Amino acid sequence: MTDFLNFLIAGLTRGSIYALIALGYTLVYGVLQLINFAHSEVFMSGAFGSLIIVQSVIGRGVHHLPWYGVTGVLLLGLTSGALIGAIVAWGLERVAYRPLRKRGAPKLAFLISAIGMSFFLSQLAGKLFNRFSDNNFPTYYNVNKHLFDIRGVHISLIQTIMIVSAVVMMLFLDTLVTHTKLGKSIRGVAEDAQTAALMGINIDKTISRTFIIGGALGGAAGFLFGSAFTVYNTMGFIPGVKAFAAAVLGGIGNIRGAMLGGLLLGVVESLVPTAPWVGGHTWIGTQWTDVVAFVVLVLVLMFRPTGILGERLGRAA
Amino acid sequence: MSADVKTNLKRLLACLGLGVVLALMIGDQEGNQTDFGFAFKAAVFHPRILIFLGIGVLLYLAMTFRPRVAPYLTRAGVRPLAAGTASVVASYGLLNWSDSGNLTNGKLSTLAHGARDTSGISVIGRLFFGSAVPGLYWILFVLAIALAAAAIIVQKSALAWGAAGLSVLAGVWGFVAHEMVRSYLHSPDHSTGAFVALLGYATIASASVTVARTSGSEAATGAFLDRIFGWKPGFPLFVIGTAAALLGTFWASWFSPTDKNTSVFGMSDLFHGYPINGLTSAYLGWLVWVLLVASVVVAGAATWLQHKLLGWASVLVGAVALLISLLSMHNFSRIAADQKFDGAVQAWQNIGTGAWTLCAAFTVLAGAGWMVARKPVDAAADPVSPRPIGSDSLVSPGKSFAFTQAMLVVVLAGALFYPPTATGFWQTVLVTEIGTYVLLAVGLNVVVGWAGLLDLGFIAFYAIGSYTTAYLTDTLPVKPPHWLHLSPLMAIPFAIAICLVAGVALGFPTLRLRGDYLAIVTLGFGEIIRIVAINAKSITNGAQGAFGIPQPVVHLGPLHLKWGQDPLQYWYLLLVFIIVVVMLFRRLENSRLGRAWAAVREDEVAAQATGVNTVRVKLLAFAIGASTSGLAGVFFASQIGYINPDNFVLNNSILVVAYVVFGGMGSLSGAIAGAAVLTWLPEFLKAQVPAEDRQMWIGAVILLMMIFRPAGLLPAKRRAAELSGLDKVYSAETAAVPAGEGM
Amino acid sequence: MRTRPLAKVAALGVVGALALTGCGSSNNSSKGGLSSGGGGNATSYTIAFEGPLSGDNAQLGINEYNGAQLAIAEANKDSSLGFKVKLSKSDDQGDPAKAPAAAASIIQDDTVMGVVGPSFSGATKAVAAKFGAAGISIVNPSASAGDIQTLGFKTWHRIFPNDNAEGPAGADWIAKHAKKVFVINDLSAYGAGVSASVASQLKKDGDTVITQGVDAKTTDYGPISQQVVNSGAKAVWYGGYDAQAALFAKALAAAGFKGIRISGNGVKSSVFTTGAGAAGHGWYFTCGCQDATVAPSAKSFTAAYTAMFNTPPSTYSPEAYDATNILIQAIKAAKAAGSVTRSTVNDQVNKTDYTGITGQISFGTDGDLPPGKGTVNLFIDQGGNIKSLGDITQAK
Repeated sequence: MTDFLNFLIAGLTRGSIYALIALGYTLVYGVLQLINFAHSEVFMSGAFGSLIIVQSVIGRGVHHLPWYGVTGVLLLGLTSGALIGAIVAWGLERVAYRPLRKRGAPKLAFLISAIGMSFFLSQLAGKLFNRFSDNNFPTYYNVNKHLFDIRGVHISLIQTIMIVSAVVMMLFLDTLVTHTKLGKSIRGVAEDAQTAALMGINIDKTISRTFIIGGALGGAAGFLFGSAFTVYNTMGFIPGVKAFAAAVLGGIGNIRGAMLGGLLLGVVESLVPTAPWVGGHTWIGTQWTDVVAFVVLVLVLMFRPTGILGERLGRAA
Repeated sequence: MSADVKTNLKRLLACLGLGVVLALMIGDQEGNQTDFGFAFKAAVFHPRILIFLGIGVLLYLAMTFRPRVAPYLTRAGVRPLAAGTASVVASYGLLNWSDSGNLTNGKLSTLAHGARDTSGISVIGRLFFGSAVPGLYWILFVLAIALAAAAIIVQKSALAWGAAGLSVLAGVWGFVAHEMVRSYLHSPDHSTGAFVALLGYATIASASVTVARTSGSEAATGAFLDRIFGWKPGFPLFVIGTAAALLGTFWASWFSPTDKNTSVFGMSDLFHGYPINGLTSAYLGWLVWVLLVASVVVAGAATWLQHKLLGWASVLVGAVALLISLLSMHNFSRIAADQKFDGAVQAWQNIGTGAWTLCAAFTVLAGAGWMVARKPVDAAADPVSPRPIGSDSLVSPGKSFAFTQAMLVVVLAGALFYPPTATGFWQTVLVTEIGTYVLLAVGLNVVVGWAGLLDLGFIAFYAIGSYTTAYLTDTLPVKPPHWLHLSPLMAIPFAIAICLVAGVALGFPTLRLRGDYLAIVTLGFGEIIRIVAINAKSITNGAQGAFGIPQPVVHLGPLHLKWGQDPLQYWYLLLVFIIVVVMLFRRLENSRLGRAWAAVREDEVAAQATGVNTVRVKLLAFAIGASTSGLAGVFFASQIGYINPDNFVLNNSILVVAYVVFGGMGSLSGAIAGAAVLTWLPEFLKAQVPAEDRQMWIGAVILLMMIFRPAGLLPAKRRAAELSGLDKVYSAETAAVPAGEGM
Repeated sequence: MRTRPLAKVAALGVVGALALTGCGSSNNSSKGGLSSGGGGNATSYTIAFEGPLSGDNAQLGINEYNGAQLAIAEANKDSSLGFKVKLSKSDDQGDPAKAPAAAASIIQDDTVMGVVGPSFSGATKAVAAKFGAAGISIVNPSASAGDIQTLGFKTWHRIFPNDNAEGPAGADWIAKHAKKVFVINDLSAYGAGVSASVASQLKKDGDTVITQGVDAKTTDYGPISQQVVNSGAKAVWYGGYDAQAALFAKALAAAGFKGIRISGNGVKSSVFTTGAGAAGHGWYFTCGCQDATVAPSAKSFTAAYTAMFNTPPSTYSPEAYDATNILIQAIKAAKAAGSVTRSTVNDQVNKTDYTGITGQISFGTDGDLPPGKGTVNLFIDQGGNIKSLGDITQAK
């Protein structure tokens, strides 16, 4: 049971990152019915942006900060990551999406322009910030410290932060979409753009704002990911693909679905290949992790072709 | 008013931002600097930034004054002028003008630097390279362009004639100067800078002539081209072929082993006393001229008189001439190797550009005859009779049909006889990158372009094809039964069959899914195949891969072909595959199945309602695409001899989709062009930008293409209709498609 | 009607023209014979580097390219050499499918006398026969697969013990300390190969072995670390490269693993020590190379490298440096013997007896280090610095 809980926590941590990125995919899909393939680069930009800002504020190396210092760095990182992510996502929409929208391009053209943008951004970042995978955040908290340790079940600080921020952001987004005026306009555009325009909603602005919100979430996720692991220019690719899978799993366009899909995918990836309940032996083996993830996805889609919670464009659930 | 200011300000800021991004793209690498942000600082806090900001400002001005400039842009001659300018700039700035190691090596600027002070080159040549005025060639170029532009703006024919004269002068002068350098160095070279500059100047000159001869302010280049090509079908081909033939015989080198560089006139002397066979001896002495004159005359007569029988005669003469040429070329190059000419090792080596150009010329002349011979048939099948909806074929009714046919012939001649004259590097690239991915893109075009199913795991079938070949040729840990050891080409039917099955197996459970759901599932399928290849070590040898897959051999009666290390051999094999597949697919496109695909793509529910068996149709698309990919896999495995799971990563699947859409979804020629351009580009960029940055530039190119030409390079006509409205597209066929309808 | 066909023509024209030019724009033709290096007594020769300079594995390629650059720069400062060496680079992205084109561009340059690379075993298997046919000597600084020497490549050489030598040596050492070992690989050709040889040797030594793979693109090593802890293994071997190992080290520390942590040559670098930080302290590495802090030549190498590239040498930089120097020495010897051609240079490389910063190097007939040659040393990350513990067979 202890093992099981430990793996569950590891899976939830992984899943929270997926969920945070998946929220960005889902939000954009909701209004445009497009996979924003460059969202992974928004994530990467958030990580690099917050890395630069955090590093210039507290300096490199190892720091022993009091709890309010750690909180401060966290808030700084989250806001700077979100800010940079939002800016990049906004620019992305202006450059890679809006011109195509104005020309009524076929749907695949959007996909390819996003892929082009993704290549471009990740390589430009590589050129500007170096292509090596050894950009690390300064150590501002005790990485090995277990926040709780109850009879062998332990959860570390960074795991807590990830899970909590994912939940908080999902709640925030949920409220934003269901209860604010902006949310209303997003839902309106998602439902029927032309009618929404007739009702006086500025479509361009709404889409821009959707990208900004999605980008902010992606950028913040980038910070969390970067400070837990590492920062490099192609860091967005794999989490991006997984988050896309998570969004589809939960029901793309569906905010709670993205959250559920992300967490579920993380937990499946953590639990199924290792199967802690089998005891000390390995069951399937971690080398099959991705196979397990995709097989689960296919199985779910075979029985629920629009994901677990169903496809609901621009609505909370 | 203030809103106006605001928009302008925004626009200016965006343009300046673009300038900064450009500066960053061209600036230094961060590398592994301890000084984080070095690259940014080096790019932004450097006087050079002013140039980039200047570019931004220019862009802003261009955008602001666009309404006032726009009327001029539609005038006659503008587009050819732009194309010519681009070619000349590319030639002067990017391309090699010499690839001999001796004087200088590379671009015009370095060549000019050395050549202008070399006393062995005549003063005319040195003058061009800037012995009197440094950079004279640039000055000439700018003058010509300025004159032509002025002519377009003020509509003065005198100016236009001046521009035409100047560009002819500059083009010919440059070409002659380059020839002087070449003969001075006395070595064969593969550089094409001078030739491209000549072509570019020719385009500028013709643009200027057009300006001089046109009075109206609206260009009608499309109609003009149609008129040219529709006037006497085949005649433009005749002109091209004759020009190529003359170029090949009077100008270029024919045979160039070490220290011997001979034109066609010297060939007889070179092989005097060597045991070349009678045909070759006759060929080098007089037969080549007879063949040349005969095929030119017959093709000329056929195209001028539009006589069907003459057309067939021209085909016959061209084919015979080609055959005799190839036989002689084989014979003399083999004799050279047998006689141990320095640098000659085996047949077909060291044959110069001239001989191959002549072969291409014969092909083009035969093609001209073919167009005449086939014309009446096609004209009857032609135009107004309604063609089925969903016909995105290469061939469109009307006069542009003739144009397309002519292009086909030229492309074919180029594909056949250009590669032997390229360097080893480009031959390899042609096989391992361009050709292979063209085949893949053609296959994926069926799935994505025609049936409208987004497949992000296409490379999986490529992997299956490769591993099937490895299995059947006994290079995997798991052994085939002993009676089933096959040579790679024999593996093709098996690979195709297995990929068909795999395609159906993937398609079946996923058929209920649409669009993006399908995308992620296929993506997952691709990853699963790769991971299985890595992890199933006892079957696939895991990450170490399979080594020693034999090269293809063909034993067919008296015919014994064996492929070795030479990329050219593989190119011709690949060309056969591509041509066969393309021909099959062209038939498929306009078949019942092709139309069913279009119906499913446009509206699945409606298609179902009208009686299309959507399940079957979609499965067929998957299976046919997959088997093409499998064929490419067989070729790849036996050509490279070693495969491992790294060859089949997700990124490659994404790239193939990008090639198809970049080229123009649903159009065969588009898929081919897209794959060719995007696989060629990174190799071309190797010489232009740091290796690390290539993907960045490619990303930018893809992005720009999608922004400015969302339908792709050579869009299918129906797609073009969706984007730019129906009135701009030829026939009534597209009227059934609602404008603005997406995928 | 007006614009479409025109645009088509323009596109085709531009593409055609550019393709034409592009195809011709590559460098020397092998048929030319006039280029300066072909003659045999020229003053400048080229050594080519083939490896990943772009793509996911670019870092390794750049490490090696830098090492080679340093060797070239030092050689050109040495006036007694009698000729100049140039370094050309050819990017294969570490991808076997891209390697033939990269190799072709090297082969067609007549001045190239030898190749450093290809960096990866896969790319090596794809092109070594081509280089062999062209007679160009290959000195390989990093392709470690244990079977390359058996494939009969004529001009191929490797300057360090392969996976089949390094792995078992490491396994024997582990077996002295632990009876239950968790062997993890990154599913790359290198990681999987070396880990397989470690695992099989461990089994021979009577240990219980648990093998697992984690894709090299993974960043979250939480679950696998938890698994290591739960398995009760006393030691863990990681087969893979430095950046991933650093992430793994951090996750392992966070999961509370206390046993022996050991890895191979691919991890022994500053990328690992800085990336893992405190979590990397106490990690062991096996490496068929000398201790860079002891050998004086290695010390000056580290200093010069750091001065030139603003960063300390990393994985495979020293090997590439040595490989380049071996080729330079071979050209020098060939020149002294009378004629410098690709084949004479290859003959000289075959005769190499060279003491470099990674050890004493000579080649057997199969191109690999002769059996028994090349000691495998054990290293440890001690407070962020990599320190040698000496010959692994003697180490505690």
